[in-house]
Amino acid sequence: MALSRTQTLAERPCGLMVDSVSFAYNGTTVLEEINLRVREGEFLSLLGPSGSGKTTLLRLVAGIETPARGRITLNGRTVSGPRGYCSMVFQDYSLFPWMNLLNNISLAIGRVYPGLKRPEKRQLAEDYLAMVGLDGLGRKYPFELSGGMQQRVAIARALAMGSPFLLMDEPFGALDPVNRTKLQDLLIDVWSQASPAKTVVFVTHDMDEAIYLGDRVVILGSFPGRIIAEVAVDFPRPRSRQSYLTAPRFKELRGRMLEYFQQDVIERLEAVNTIWSTREGI
Amino acid sequence: MRLIDKVRKICWGREGWIFILALVGLWQAAGELMSQKDRYLFPSLAVSAKALWLSLPELFQGTVSSMFILIPGYLAAVVMGVVWGILVGTTDWLQRAFTPFARVAAPIPPTIYIPYAIALMATFRLSAIFVVFIGAFWPIFLNTAAGAVAVPGRYRDDAHILGLSRFEYRWRIVFPSALPHSFSGMAVGLALAYILLTVAELFGANAGLGRFVQYYADFADYPRMVAGIIYTGLITFLSMKALEKIRERILFWVR
Repeated sequence: MALSRTQTLAERPCGLMVDSVSFAYNGTTVLEEINLRVREGEFLSLLGPSGSGKTTLLRLVAGIETPARGRITLNGRTVSGPRGYCSMVFQDYSLFPWMNLLNNISLAIGRVYPGLKRPEKRQLAEDYLAMVGLDGLGRKYPFELSGGMQQRVAIARALAMGSPFLLMDEPFGALDPVNRTKLQDLLIDVWSQASPAKTVVFVTHDMDEAIYLGDRVVILGSFPGRIIAEVAVDFPRPRSRQSYLTAPRFKELRGRMLEYFQQDVIERLEAVNTIWSTREGI
Repeated sequence: MRLIDKVRKICWGREGWIFILALVGLWQAAGELMSQKDRYLFPSLAVSAKALWLSLPELFQGTVSSMFILIPGYLAAVVMGVVWGILVGTTDWLQRAFTPFARVAAPIPPTIYIPYAIALMATFRLSAIFVVFIGAFWPIFLNTAAGAVAVPGRYRDDAHILGLSRFEYRWRIVFPSALPHSFSGMAVGLALAYILLTVAELFGANAGLGRFVQYYADFADYPRMVAGIIYTGLITFLSMKALEKIRERILFWVR
């Protein structure tokens, strides 16, 4: 489909709403006045350096933490606790090592279909494994798999939870570049085929990844974490890595984001350490 | 190859056996060299081996009798220690309530309970089971509770996301995650259980391994005493080995 998704996206309702959310930890403000509107079916990239509180923001959306101020709503419901409303994938493939792959996924399936019998759950788990390209490996244990494969299973499990919201916290950060590109493509593949459409919030510190995957990139600054800028990525899908990375528009987007980052860094330095950027010295 | 290299090649990897053999050889040599009077107190290897062989039926009966004390006491300690450890480790208020008491009660040497337990309980066996239980319970409980507290944050987050109930979280996540810690506690508990078992039997049993050694001490039958000591050591060693094997099978995912 060559149509740009951003056109139809604008007409969709907002699934995730973050209203004036702030969060502090041990007296330090980690997030300050975050306002975000994510549309149903949108793939949002959250880009930011360490210290920008992007993991914290994700945990707030998931309900693992509660904001000090402000409110988060998912499909109209205020988030007040985790209770299995969002699916989440972490960076350090948190599968349970004492369960085999099928049982790990069945645990998620059991949340969605509590009445399902064991063989049926197992069959469904096999289907999800096949979706991420690991069919037939159900009886293996996580320690028998490579990092890339474990992350695939983590994605399968997140899908098996059946939530319309998928939160991902630098899921490919620990993988080598080859595995990373394979899994990025797998993610887009699986996401674009999901029906009903899934809303994804994808946290990363890799600019290229953020632009390649996202419909929109929200850039967070650090100390404290707040939104510096939002950049729409109006590249049509499906995106081919080849033409995409050589397109001048991509370079332009990338350049603009770098500017935002550097601007933020300089502002912070000036504010905190009185380093003058317009005089002699740095 | 030079002679020294040949010897080295044979010895490599077998140093443990060679050491044990050397000790046994020393024992026999000492037995030969000792005076008649000393030989009475320190029986030689040959004499002890003969005594061991002759006492085997009695020792075997003693083992069975001891097991009737050890197994109930130890298993009860395992079950209660693990369950209570998980509960305390995962419930904040329970932790706060129980910890001060545990700090005081756990270090009490269980041997000190023996006379009182014997006086209090209906049969000797019951009192011995009780003492074994107390001795094994605390290490198992403390280690399990520590394991429950040390559950990695990402497992907790996962359980949150999945929306697991408190019971499911404890049973499917905390319990397996804390098992390696529990097993450490179980090993310590087993060693303590044997110590307490034999001490209790020295006190007041009329059968069992500790009783065997004490009985023949009363008769100054040193070869039989030494035989009893060797035999008890062997039983303890085999028990620890069995626990190890069980641990390996259950904790297959721990590298």
